Amino acid sequence: MDTAGSEIILSIREVTKSFPGVRALNGVSIDVRRGMVHGVVGENGAGKSTLMKILSGVYKKDTGTIVFDGKTIDHTTPYESMHRGLAIIYQELNLVNSMSVGENIFLGRFKEMKGMRGTHAKARELLDSIGCKVSTTKLVSELSVSTKQMVEISKALSFQSKLIIMDEPSTSLTGEEMSLLVKIIHQLKAQGISIIYISHKLEEIFDFCDVVTVMRDGNVIDTKPRGEFSRDELITKMVGRTIENEYPERSRQVGETLMEVKGINTRKLHDVSFTLRKGEILGLVGLVGAGRTETVRAVFGADRVRGHKVSIGGKPVTIHNPKQAKDAGLGLIPEDRKLQGLVLPFSVEQNISMASIDRFTRFGFLIKSLEKGIGARHVKSLGIKTPNTKVAIKNLSGGNQQKCIVGRWMEIGPSIFIMDEPTKGIDVGAKYEIYLLMKQIAEKGGAVILISSELPEVLNMSNRVLTIYDGRITGEFDPEHIPADVIMRAALGLGGAS
Amino acid sequence: MNKVGFILKDYLVLLMILGLALVTAIIQPKFISPANLNNIMRQFGPLILVALGMTFVIVGGFIDLSVAGTINLVAVVTITLIDPLGQVGALVAGLVIGSICGAINAGLILTSGATTQAEALFITFGMSTVYSSLALIYSGGSTFHFWDLKEMPNMFEAIGAGSVGPLSVSFVIFLGALALLWIFHTKMAAGRAISLTGGNKTAARLSGVPIERSIVLIYTIAGFMAALGAIVLFSRVTTASPVIGAGFETNAILAVVVGGTTLKGGKGSVLRTVMGVLLVILLNNCLNLLGVSSYMQWAARGAILVFAIWLDNRKEVQGNQL
Repeated sequence: MDTAGSEIILSIREVTKSFPGVRALNGVSIDVRRGMVHGVVGENGAGKSTLMKILSGVYKKDTGTIVFDGKTIDHTTPYESMHRGLAIIYQELNLVNSMSVGENIFLGRFKEMKGMRGTHAKARELLDSIGCKVSTTKLVSELSVSTKQMVEISKALSFQSKLIIMDEPSTSLTGEEMSLLVKIIHQLKAQGISIIYISHKLEEIFDFCDVVTVMRDGNVIDTKPRGEFSRDELITKMVGRTIENEYPERSRQVGETLMEVKGINTRKLHDVSFTLRKGEILGLVGLVGAGRTETVRAVFGADRVRGHKVSIGGKPVTIHNPKQAKDAGLGLIPEDRKLQGLVLPFSVEQNISMASIDRFTRFGFLIKSLEKGIGARHVKSLGIKTPNTKVAIKNLSGGNQQKCIVGRWMEIGPSIFIMDEPTKGIDVGAKYEIYLLMKQIAEKGGAVILISSELPEVLNMSNRVLTIYDGRITGEFDPEHIPADVIMRAALGLGGAS
Repeated sequence: MNKVGFILKDYLVLLMILGLALVTAIIQPKFISPANLNNIMRQFGPLILVALGMTFVIVGGFIDLSVAGTINLVAVVTITLIDPLGQVGALVAGLVIGSICGAINAGLILTSGATTQAEALFITFGMSTVYSSLALIYSGGSTFHFWDLKEMPNMFEAIGAGSVGPLSVSFVIFLGALALLWIFHTKMAAGRAISLTGGNKTAARLSGVPIERSIVLIYTIAGFMAALGAIVLFSRVTTASPVIGAGFETNAILAVVVGGTTLKGGKGSVLRTVMGVLLVILLNNCLNLLGVSSYMQWAARGAILVFAIWLDNRKEVQGNQL
């Protein structure tokens, strides 16, 4: 491995790319060296994902040159890049859910593997090489996000990849799963494989990246060895301004009970009951799949759940569907932005206005000028970066899309705002703005239920935290006074309920 | 995708219509004779009405194969009700029956929990055979003619063959339906809700958009428009048979998709459907005039449908992530 670090495996020179109304990349140049973990950070809309999609052949670049492993790459397809040794592991993983682990790794190459026996044997070898124990005959749909990633990495290895791009791989991982990923990354690196690691989480960047590139608004702002960046410098370069704190100060105006939920029972949830107070941010902490999302979906009427009791302001309410939830003063930012939140072919304005159609309807007719006002107001107040409100929302970055969903509900002004992973895949600056919004809602006498896989976020934002494990509430904590590890123990089902 | 590409995609149907008309007119001057233009206008009638209704179903993210069955049922029931109920009574009854057929489809989709286009396809396919067999049972398999009625139904005759100035009555009915449906779709809250439902059912539902209402509306509209189509159809041929609607479902879907409304739901327009129907009818008419065999005509129609879907998918691939 003595050549590691000297040889440039990937050279990107002056690459530009525009979408209708948006300039996504503006003459970007990056060199990635062999056997290095190259971190790429930047706010949403900085152009990271666009660049990676150009590398893998999903998009075509407008101008510039890309040299990978000594060969100039002009037009490529995801299939060609894979075979050339450039693999990309997307945030939303690209596996066939209905097929087995082994079949996924060698998808379309069963013949080369001499049938299914060879396929599974070789898949076993690859999985073992990264210390993944999952059976090769298991269906991918039954795997956790972390294991799916292992399968993706094994697939990349099966192509003798020289460069693996990981697009925010840690988004849905628990702490333990994350340390496993880090171990694998170190192992890949030792084999001389380069890794481009895209992330919002600065801890990870400082933890194991060798070189860091900061991008902002389609430009490369700086590329330096990790050791030469300070945390503050990195944040400042990412957002183009100084951020004092990662979290706003906790709001402290918790009042009387606003909502009471009693006895949610489903196949997955067991007797889940809780109260929510005015001015409170209530955090739900638990592993992915523990029942956090199911709980709020039941409250919001998103799933067919019956038999539980909900009262708001002391009055019992019936919430059997999201419409009734909305009318009762609830709002929901769903877990999966693309699948559950956005109507992708529609405009920014129409996505913002869709929960409040009644507000610009007179005698059944839409008043377009009022709708325009609603769109413009929230684009402005939330600082949504978009050329105009008529642009299709699919052209916006993840953070700006999320703000549109926030704006959608701000128009309604719900008194109880449920936020399921509201900052998932969102950059530091936009995160802070969403934290401020939560605080504002609480301080105006509303309440927020916050679900997040990022423990520091829940602990720093919440006034009170409930831990959920295996469909049961296992504890209630004051995150200001109880240490994080005690809360984590309860979330892992290790006892310690207070 | 570049700008030229977008323009091409958006106006391709229009260009094809103009090109087709021009070529045919040059090769076969009979094409622009008043008799032929009148013929085109009358052919336009039943299909466009059915296709306009179908547009809402497809924009709403679903599909409706039951319209052929609905047409069969409405045609035979309406014509036999003319004697007992009078013409207006029969007309209203026919439209109500069509709407009920549509509402039943919606009810089945909602209660079965079907959320995909494929599920809707099979449910409405099943219902099409049910409605068709009801039509056969009701009629005993026989065909009804205007001249068998106690007196000639002059209102239906007018719908089938009458004119208002230079326009046929069926064309006027089409214009009225088009205007109302266009306003409903683009200007009214319920129309927006339908588009949102088609664009992303889950997101629409979680935002409190009443998607159940959208589903009931789209199928009821499709049923109503199929009934209207059935009435115009049997009025034109002065005869109603229990198999009169065969093939209408596929032609209507063909016209909607060729017009540029995406099968993925959400985006589309009744105006596009008008272009789609125009293209389908012109194509038939041209091929007829040019003496192309009907076997070949089927192939041409199929090819156009596949081309339209291909074009729609290409646009997705280029403008979006894979």
